[in-house]
Amino acid sequence: MKRTHRWQTALHYLILTAVALFFFLPVYYLIVGSFRPSTEVLSGLSGFVPTNLSVENYIGVFDHLSSDATGYFGQFAVVSIIVTTAVVAGSLFVNSMAAYSFARMQWRGKKVLFLLVIVLTIIPFEAVALPLYFMFSGQRDTIYIQAIPFMANAFSIFLFYTFFLDVPGEIEEAARLDGAGPFRTFFQVIVPITKPAFATVAILTFLAQWGSYLWPVLMVSDPTVRPLPLAISIFQNQQPPEWGQVLAFGTMFIVPVLAVFLIFQRWFVASISSSAVKG
Amino acid sequence: MTTQTQQIQAPTVPARRRSSAGLSGHRFAGPLFASPALLGLAIFLVAPFVLAVVLSFYRVQLNSPRPARFVGFEQYARLFTDPDLAAAFGQALLNNFSFALIVVPVQTVLALALAVLVNRKLRGMVIFRTFIFMPLVFPLALTAVIWRLIYSRGDQGLLNAILGLFSGGTLSSHDWLGDPATALGSIIVMSIWQSVSFQMIIVLAALQSVPTELYEAASLDRASKWAQFINVTVPGIRNTLIFVALITTIFSFRLFDQVYLLSRSGSVDRGSTETVMTQIINTGFDNNNVGQAAAMTVIFMLIITVIAIIQRAAARQRGGV
Amino acid sequence: MMTIPKSTSGARILTAAAAVSIAAMALTACGGPGTGSAGPSVEAGSGEGTINVWAVDGQAAENDALKKIISSFESSQSKIKVNLKLFPSDQYTKAVNSAAPGDLPDVLDFDGPTLASFVYNGKMAPLKGSVSDATLSNQTDSIKAQNTVDNAAYGVGMMNAGLALWGNKKLLNAAGVAYPTTPEKAWTAEEFTGVLDKLATVVPGGKPLDLSEQYGFAGEWGTCCSAGPVIWSGGGTMLKDNKASGALDSEANVKSLTKFASWKKFTDPNADGLAFTNGRVALSWVGHWTYPTYKALGSDLVSIPLPNFGKGTKTASGTFAWGMGATTKNGTAAGKFLDFLMSDESVHTYTDANGAPPATKTSLATSSLYGPGKQLQLLGDQLSKACGTEDKINDNCVSVTRPVTAGYPVVTDQVGKAEAAIYAGKDAKEALSAAARAIDQNFADNDGYKK
Repeated sequence: MKRTHRWQTALHYLILTAVALFFFLPVYYLIVGSFRPSTEVLSGLSGFVPTNLSVENYIGVFDHLSSDATGYFGQFAVVSIIVTTAVVAGSLFVNSMAAYSFARMQWRGKKVLFLLVIVLTIIPFEAVALPLYFMFSGQRDTIYIQAIPFMANAFSIFLFYTFFLDVPGEIEEAARLDGAGPFRTFFQVIVPITKPAFATVAILTFLAQWGSYLWPVLMVSDPTVRPLPLAISIFQNQQPPEWGQVLAFGTMFIVPVLAVFLIFQRWFVASISSSAVKG
Repeated sequence: MTTQTQQIQAPTVPARRRSSAGLSGHRFAGPLFASPALLGLAIFLVAPFVLAVVLSFYRVQLNSPRPARFVGFEQYARLFTDPDLAAAFGQALLNNFSFALIVVPVQTVLALALAVLVNRKLRGMVIFRTFIFMPLVFPLALTAVIWRLIYSRGDQGLLNAILGLFSGGTLSSHDWLGDPATALGSIIVMSIWQSVSFQMIIVLAALQSVPTELYEAASLDRASKWAQFINVTVPGIRNTLIFVALITTIFSFRLFDQVYLLSRSGSVDRGSTETVMTQIINTGFDNNNVGQAAAMTVIFMLIITVIAIIQRAAARQRGGV
Repeated sequence: MMTIPKSTSGARILTAAAAVSIAAMALTACGGPGTGSAGPSVEAGSGEGTINVWAVDGQAAENDALKKIISSFESSQSKIKVNLKLFPSDQYTKAVNSAAPGDLPDVLDFDGPTLASFVYNGKMAPLKGSVSDATLSNQTDSIKAQNTVDNAAYGVGMMNAGLALWGNKKLLNAAGVAYPTTPEKAWTAEEFTGVLDKLATVVPGGKPLDLSEQYGFAGEWGTCCSAGPVIWSGGGTMLKDNKASGALDSEANVKSLTKFASWKKFTDPNADGLAFTNGRVALSWVGHWTYPTYKALGSDLVSIPLPNFGKGTKTASGTFAWGMGATTKNGTAAGKFLDFLMSDESVHTYTDANGAPPATKTSLATSSLYGPGKQLQLLGDQLSKACGTEDKINDNCVSVTRPVTAGYPVVTDQVGKAEAAIYAGKDAKEALSAAARAIDQNFADNDGYKK
């Protein structure tokens, strides 16, 4: 008994290690490659060997992006942060309110509209990118046009909705007897007890928005409002391609997110878990 | 004015009939709460979609001084009768379907396997879990760059170098993205790497919510681990698995960024990896043919809608979601 | 009143959405991205103030050269300031095409073959009257051909582009391969296969050729510099009388491109861009812009004409040039800046940075790289043997200008896509026919892009 158990555990660790390698190697490759000369990034297995490390690539990235004409890395980062923060905040606000209305309030036409929202969850943004570009071409090169279209989100409404369905009715009842109106009820009573829902939507929205590519390509040409994902192609088009700089750029792009992610990992897993079981 | 309680699932609330008067004096609270999001969806999703329908009846070029010309159903007719267009659109649809047919079951099963794998309480499990989550934070533009390097043709490519190491050099210079036979498969592996951990978390949560008494009962019956898994675990998380399959289906039909970015590198036969989404963007923005792209959009949305309805109905019938 | 059918709010939403969409349609019908302006409306302006300049964010060395030229322009006079904006190259054409007339810059960079469509879409203004006649007449013939639309000059170029097979003399000698140095003596495609066979034995990976796969054949590189020379050298064209069917899908093109694809087995994918400088390959099919890195080989670096597919070796000419935005209010100042860009000093600064052949007569004459006995003599000679456009090709001319048509975006997308597919193993006849039909359909939908 004991022996097989130990053997099983060893096997378990072996499989885990293999799996972790598959997920981690590309990440490792990105980070190590960012500290190595471009000439050594693509050279078979030695791409994994951390030799000749230096911060040259990082200096190269900042050197290339060093004037008003090209824009600055910091500037792109600020744009990305502003847009992403605005989308996440806006999304939490409008989608939770709509979901609450659908889940807990009575009003005419509600059912039809909710059905419509469910149908809308399947329209991918790319499908309407072209007409949207037509509609808002006058707003090109602004920060707000990068953010506003993504705040209202059918899938987020659906996620919130599944949460709010489970809130016990007595809680609202008690709030009502205290004389709280719908706004106070929602913001002071409901929101605090459904934090995991907000965490889940915030994380999903953040991840989708942080790497957003197509819409900015269509709508942004001015470096002062350019988000990070658009700048990555600059380094690929060098002669020879500056793979090291591409990887350095990429590392700076994900390491902050990775750090935040690791800090909140427990919380993130817990919140997704609590929303998923309801699916 | 009696209204039903809106519970879709079994109500957890004592079924008290409450009319909107329950929020007396707040007759407009419901529509008011819902309006910002609905307005957003109307302006940024419904309106452009309606505009796509309108545009699909025109011959209209992007950025061109020529006025749009009304052509009725011409764009649709072309899509189905023009041999080239029909073939290309069919190929893209086929790619989408192959992708979905492979990715949905594979990714769901993998998510389950991974969840079972990390569900054991072993020392260091947090670290392994962290590794598995890492790809989730990669933006697609970056994922495409890294995997382009990994799949690089010739023995300089990382994947080829690794395979060469294990096969003693016999398998060392395959053109993963350039060979139509492996192009789609390569993109599938990349997609799984990127997103399977998200599905894994969902399944993991479901696993942990299966009542332990059921396992204890099964143990008393001398059921093997495998039998327990088949008879207790899988039924216990069936709804979650269906949910995962649903969202994976939707995501696999949305496939765009990775393919769009990868197909423009190296020597890739675009036809072998083109998805409907990349084709729409390519038609609209590279060939400037807005009317044609709009018609593709409309047809594609109809197809997805039908699939979603069938899936939901099937899930319902089996007592799920 | 109480019993409104349930669907009304849904219907109302849809009506509202439809209204918004129709409003959007109305918008796009007057000043949205779907409309060019009613032709250029240039004002001379005061000749002072700040001019906006748009350019592609190119190689680091090119950017530095451009900034240097601008700062010497600003210090050479005190009235005109330059406000430069650089765009990633994959987003540049979209940026120009989707700019509303009022947002266009005073001066902009453009890639030769996109000019006709920019002019057609009302993005560019003719230069005559703003740029001095001396500047216009100092342009070399092949660059003039590229920058002329409807007999008016819309652009001036500092540089031209040259293609060649760069060779590593040491490896060529090791394999006992004699190589041609003049266009007349170019290898035939058959001979070239034999050469590759020999060279395969002297390079470490057994793949002695670099075809610049890393740029992607499915894009502009595939059309201009890869499929283009192959097609033209085989006696074919992409278009004939504004039609692709019967031209692009001709037997000659099928044969040439199939031959080209057969070299894949000798080709290093060159994803790192270092195949040639690291000695992994002996021959590199690429443009002049690699010269600054390739010159590391010193005297081992030789330039060889591209293979001859039957009608003599051919290469593409034409590259990025400079023009004026259609609605500039500073025509005089923009003209002054363009004059300064085309001065010998600016052209040398720029072409020294990227190894390009100068595109003005006076700077070409004094170039340290291009000219009799200079290291890049071949590239210069090829450009001086200009064919003009596709329809004027003969056996002896070498450099060809890509099709000048407002429909070029479709042409390049389809030709590149077809070449990439053929190279990946698809049947050439099939790929080219499909591309030809798609191009013709698009031209027909737009009445052949006639104004």
